[in-house]
Amino acid sequence: MTYHQPITIAVAKGRLLRNTLPLLARIGIQPLVVDMDQTRKLILETSQAQIRLLLIRATDVPTYVQWGAADFGITGKDTLLEHGGANLYEPLDLQIARCQLWVAGYPDTDTRIQRLRVASKYIRTSQAFFQARGQQINLIKLYGSMELAPMVGLADVIVDLVESGNTLQANGLVPLEHICDISARLIANKAAWKMKQATCRYWVDALQAVLSSESA
Amino acid sequence: MSHHSWLLPEGIDEILPDQAWQLEQCRRELLDLYASWGYQLVIPPLIEYRDALLTRTDQALSLQTAALTDHESGRLLGVRADITPQTARIDAHQLQRDAPTRLCYVGSVFQARPGRLAGTRNPLQIGAELYGYAGIAADCEVLQLMLATLQQMGIEQVHLDLGHVGIYRALVAQAGLSSEQAADLFGVLQRKAATDLMRWLTEHHVVAPSRDMFLALVTLNGAVDVLDRARDCLRAAPPAVHAALDELAQLGEGLELPVHYDLAEARTYHYQTGLIFAAFVPGQGYEVARGGRCDQIGAAFGRARPATGFSADLKALLFLGSMQKVSLVDTILAPAETDPELEQQIATLRAAGHIVIQALPDQVGTPQEQGAQHKLSRTARGWVLTPVTDMQ
Repeated sequence: MTYHQPITIAVAKGRLLRNTLPLLARIGIQPLVVDMDQTRKLILETSQAQIRLLLIRATDVPTYVQWGAADFGITGKDTLLEHGGANLYEPLDLQIARCQLWVAGYPDTDTRIQRLRVASKYIRTSQAFFQARGQQINLIKLYGSMELAPMVGLADVIVDLVESGNTLQANGLVPLEHICDISARLIANKAAWKMKQATCRYWVDALQAVLSSESA
Repeated sequence: MSHHSWLLPEGIDEILPDQAWQLEQCRRELLDLYASWGYQLVIPPLIEYRDALLTRTDQALSLQTAALTDHESGRLLGVRADITPQTARIDAHQLQRDAPTRLCYVGSVFQARPGRLAGTRNPLQIGAELYGYAGIAADCEVLQLMLATLQQMGIEQVHLDLGHVGIYRALVAQAGLSSEQAADLFGVLQRKAATDLMRWLTEHHVVAPSRDMFLALVTLNGAVDVLDRARDCLRAAPPAVHAALDELAQLGEGLELPVHYDLAEARTYHYQTGLIFAAFVPGQGYEVARGGRCDQIGAAFGRARPATGFSADLKALLFLGSMQKVSLVDTILAPAETDPELEQQIATLRAAGHIVIQALPDQVGTPQEQGAQHKLSRTARGWVLTPVTDMQ
């Protein structure tokens, strides 16, 4: 059995990366760069010669892994729900970067009206949530600053991630309906999982052991 | 004409000279291979009534099948997205044999939405089906034929993935899940998301021992030891599960290539019923050929016969394979003259397998531009072949 086949891991840049690196360090994977915040490199070699990291946008992580450009990926469950998860395994919940997906708006909003106007960057997820209870909605795709939409009358509610609720509160909005819990997931390409089974299993087990020891 | 009208639609491709000829050679060789195993060629139509193209239960296939209206009958037609149901229809209605029937096919299919088969929407689907035999010997034969296909195409380092849908079906029956729940749970299992699975089982009040068996299923993938582990942790499972494990062991036995077992795998759950398999090659993030048992497929056509088969996209196989470039026969250029002796010579050369292009009067282009290595020249001894030199 060999555990040393080359592995490429796609990691979402930014906050998720900062949360992920300590976890990877505990299983012996450390990027060979001095200053992570300063580097402009997109491919990082690591302390494990056969493992490299790709630094990409969170929403691109499932795409890279789906087509096999990366064997593993680390990204938020919100991104995966929106992507649909074709050709991907989700072997581990990394239990980091936790937050929740909520329907939010002004406190007195009736979210059950037909043709509710929903602003979000999570188009698929919003659609699935309201569709599941047979409610027709009008979706408005936005890329940022969702809170603004109800305030200027663009939408009745928003669907967005809520971590502390501070941004909502600062703008007079409140969480109205809980959609689901979000955390970072380890995803794997199906073909890589099957062809590099021993290597994949080795690293997943190592991560699993770290996660179990932390939650214990 | 604006350039938008001659560009091909998203995901639609075509094969140009040289490669097209190479593809045709592969097509012939593979059909010869299938014929030598006793698989009879069928050529189902590109378009037929949409209802006939859809097996009753496969929702994914329904989304993939584009529809148009028949101006003749007013009924809805479908452009096939998969040839497998068509061969099942042929077996059930046109042939109606009792003995095992072996059929093979190759043809273009159109997928309304990209997603399967690596983004292309018009794969050239090639495959074979064996109807009328429920035993594992049929599965073994079809698997071997799929591997022979890959070998013929010069595709190396093939990894095989084996699974058995019967295991999941038996566990679903044991847990008493509705078909809606079964489809929902199937989605979670396909992602191997252990935490989501645990949450789902709790939410739907699935209790031990079923609960533990479903949880075990996501971990039951890997080398051949998976089967032993499965016998251990699925000890109390229904007999069908143990029969499935035996079949898996038998199918994998003696295969001289890397085999991965995955007991939670099923590509199209509504369709497949027993042993399933797929081939992967390094560097490709998706399967290159796939197959398995779909015993219920004929039910939609009124005659459910045992069935197993495989299929692949011939264009993808050509791209992956290292099949020797077809050594093209020398091309000979004949002048634009009307001379009975020349006509005779051209006919003789063509009959002998040479490519002879007769120039058109006053045409443009050098012999090289027309791909000619030789030309026919008039001499005192009649028409003779001379090499085309750079000077000409």
